[in-house]
Amino acid sequence: MNKNYIYWGIGIIVVLLLIFIVPKYFTGNAIASSTISGDIAKIEVYHFHATRQCVTCKTVGSNAEATVNTYFANELKSGKLVFAHINIDLSENKAIVEKYGATGSSLMIGVYGKDGSFLKQEDTNVWYKIDKAESMSYLKEVIEQKFLGN
Amino acid sequence: MGLMAFMQSMGTNNFPLIAAFFIGLLTALSPCPLATNITAIAYISKKIDSGKKTLLTGLVYTLGRMFTYVLLASLIVYIGVNVQAISLFLQKYGERIIGPLLIIIGLIMLNIIKLPSLKSSDKINKIKEKLSEKGYLGAFLLGVIFALAFCPFSAVLFFGMLIPLALKFSDGILIPSVFALATGLPVIIFAFILTFSVSKIGKVMGKVQAFEKWMRYAIAFVFVIIGIYYTWKIWI
Repeated sequence: MNKNYIYWGIGIIVVLLLIFIVPKYFTGNAIASSTISGDIAKIEVYHFHATRQCVTCKTVGSNAEATVNTYFANELKSGKLVFAHINIDLSENKAIVEKYGATGSSLMIGVYGKDGSFLKQEDTNVWYKIDKAESMSYLKEVIEQKFLGN
Repeated sequence: MGLMAFMQSMGTNNFPLIAAFFIGLLTALSPCPLATNITAIAYISKKIDSGKKTLLTGLVYTLGRMFTYVLLASLIVYIGVNVQAISLFLQKYGERIIGPLLIIIGLIMLNIIKLPSLKSSDKINKIKEKLSEKGYLGAFLLGVIFALAFCPFSAVLFFGMLIPLALKFSDGILIPSVFALATGLPVIIFAFILTFSVSKIGKVMGKVQAFEKWMRYAIAFVFVIIGIYYTWKIWI
């Protein structure tokens, strides 16, 4: 008897949760992916990491570095593109870690508009692309699109 | 389609519960949760003579993980606690505590460290005994603590992928629950296999008790070894 009540209780809670939460998945909440209006002044690509890195974390960082060096050498030179590995454990990086809201290892892209606007975005897709060539062609496309203001 | 491409397409599925499940699967296979799950499997294998209990213990362990993930997600989604602060804190301390903790649990199981007997009333002791005998409370606590041990990669999956999903749909309950279920899936599956295979062998041999003693030592060693692995990785 006692156990039956527990099962019923759990069942009712689950059903209630489903009724109240699942509809949210279909309605609204579609935050329009905001973009910078107007011309792009500068783009920052930052690989955030802790002092102790996982294998994949290092791969994501080195792939990103290879991408900007291979395809965006001119932009790097002119300062239109900035790339850096940033150790979140170092106090000197505190300001930039907070600015980007990095929660740990992450690849962040920040876009500055000429009107002074700023838009930051974490790219989590890179975690699925461990193959170097695949990762580089993906990231190249992402950065190119950012420069076009998309 | 490669495995990672498949995981990506599922992990970014438009229906958030499917996405959460696959992000959870990826988490279950990443180094830290894999190590904690192996430890949990060792723990739940303790009482292999009681088939149904083994399976239940695996489920309770997963419930423990769920408790932690739901709590974290709810703090962030409903109360608005800073994601960055929680994430960086847990990555800094969660992992550091778990290594030494596992070593201590292992040494207690091996009777190398003896727990001082607490002078509490008999009633409390009896309740304690009952709970630890069944192993459910232990399994639940193990799940709660293990889920708190974030390594760099599992933190990416939880704080970088799952939490944004929970925030987007302002759901701090179902999404992390499904995620937790997937992270505990290897343990549930193993418990299931154990229930229907090893328990029979043990019974046929009629040497359950002797077997259990050996299992106890083996489990204790698993705890100590995985504890050393964590400690070595982080402190040295």
